[in-house]
Amino acid sequence: MLQTRYWFLTSPLLCILFLPSLVVPASGQTTSPGDTKLTIKAVLVLTPEFCATESKKGDFWSGKETFQTGKAACSELEPALRGVFSNLTRVEAPPSSGEAQLVLLPRFVDVGATKTLGAFSDREMVVLLEWTLKDKSGKTVWIETVQGSAKHHMGNAFTYKKNRKMVVEDSVKDAAEQSAGKMSASPELRKLADGNSN
Amino acid sequence: MPRTNLVGIVCTLIALSLVQPAYAGEKFPEYPVHAAGDYAVTAEKEGLTIGLQPVEDLREQKTYFHTELTPKGFVPVFVVIQNGSSGHSFLFDKTGITYGESGSGGNAPDAHSKAGEATAVASLAALSFVGAVVAAKLMANATEVQQDILKKEVQSKTLSPGGSVHGFLYVPVQKKGPREKIHLRVPISRADTDETIVLDVVF
Repeated sequence: MLQTRYWFLTSPLLCILFLPSLVVPASGQTTSPGDTKLTIKAVLVLTPEFCATESKKGDFWSGKETFQTGKAACSELEPALRGVFSNLTRVEAPPSSGEAQLVLLPRFVDVGATKTLGAFSDREMVVLLEWTLKDKSGKTVWIETVQGSAKHHMGNAFTYKKNRKMVVEDSVKDAAEQSAGKMSASPELRKLADGNSN
Repeated sequence: MPRTNLVGIVCTLIALSLVQPAYAGEKFPEYPVHAAGDYAVTAEKEGLTIGLQPVEDLREQKTYFHTELTPKGFVPVFVVIQNGSSGHSFLFDKTGITYGESGSGGNAPDAHSKAGEATAVASLAALSFVGAVVAAKLMANATEVQQDILKKEVQSKTLSPGGSVHGFLYVPVQKKGPREKIHLRVPISRADTDETIVLDVVF
């Protein structure tokens, strides 16, 4: 009787523990077009100006804030895009035409961040990052805008700066991951890659 | 007795810091999206269709943005652009959008003579940074409202065959009185050639 009771308790627990482990590999077996790298020699242009991008928000009354989005982007974009292209090089200035099959030019459109009164209330940050991709002739072949976002506690007098840095880094990281996803899934870039491999 | 007051104040402050402010839970409803051809103002060229819906009713502005934008000098215009072609991709770059007051004759810009068209183009102003300007004009502490305006703004995008883009444009208008007709010019280029298709709409 006691054993039966324990079985009723343990069986749902075992299901919760082991079911995801069975499901995850099954879903991982399917290969979508986005899973394979684009066979393109791409150049990621991260200029010193872009890396130094700061967004200033607020005023004297509400409190001025500076978000160092460029600094975060210049550490997050390259690793995120490495998985997209077969060959990715980071440069500080746009190359002359013909040097790269694809030139990736990021630009911050805008940044928004909410404010909260409570230290433990979550503030949200949104980063709009626009991509312009040019082929070797300098012609724009792809444009996309991604919206990265993240939430963190506003923080108190001691934790505010650290939390602000975290919300910037996470929202930019989200934008970088979304950028990689959009580029991988783009039929225009796949077509370009197919043209290069043939 | 003063000690009890101090404890009370500290407890109240701690409690306040834990409670979410009333506005933190506010939700901004999404504006309903329809097929581009279903809107009252539409234009179509080479498989590209644009549909517009100016949101001029102040109650509607309050519903979707939690603020009234017309008294601040802007009318939000919901835009849907669809690529109905089967084989061509198009590049929609929002920095190329221009607007201006429509001609007194009220003709569609497509029907204008070339000279008229050139004049109209010259008088059009860029719209690309208006979203940020609108947001900045709002109350400084209404950060959630500002952020929602940015989130809802239409953004540059590649329109693959069958793809679409939607969002708001914030067009500057007079704060008071009836507004003039607005001429919106949306250039979209083909991804495979340098050809640019211009969609003109008047509303």
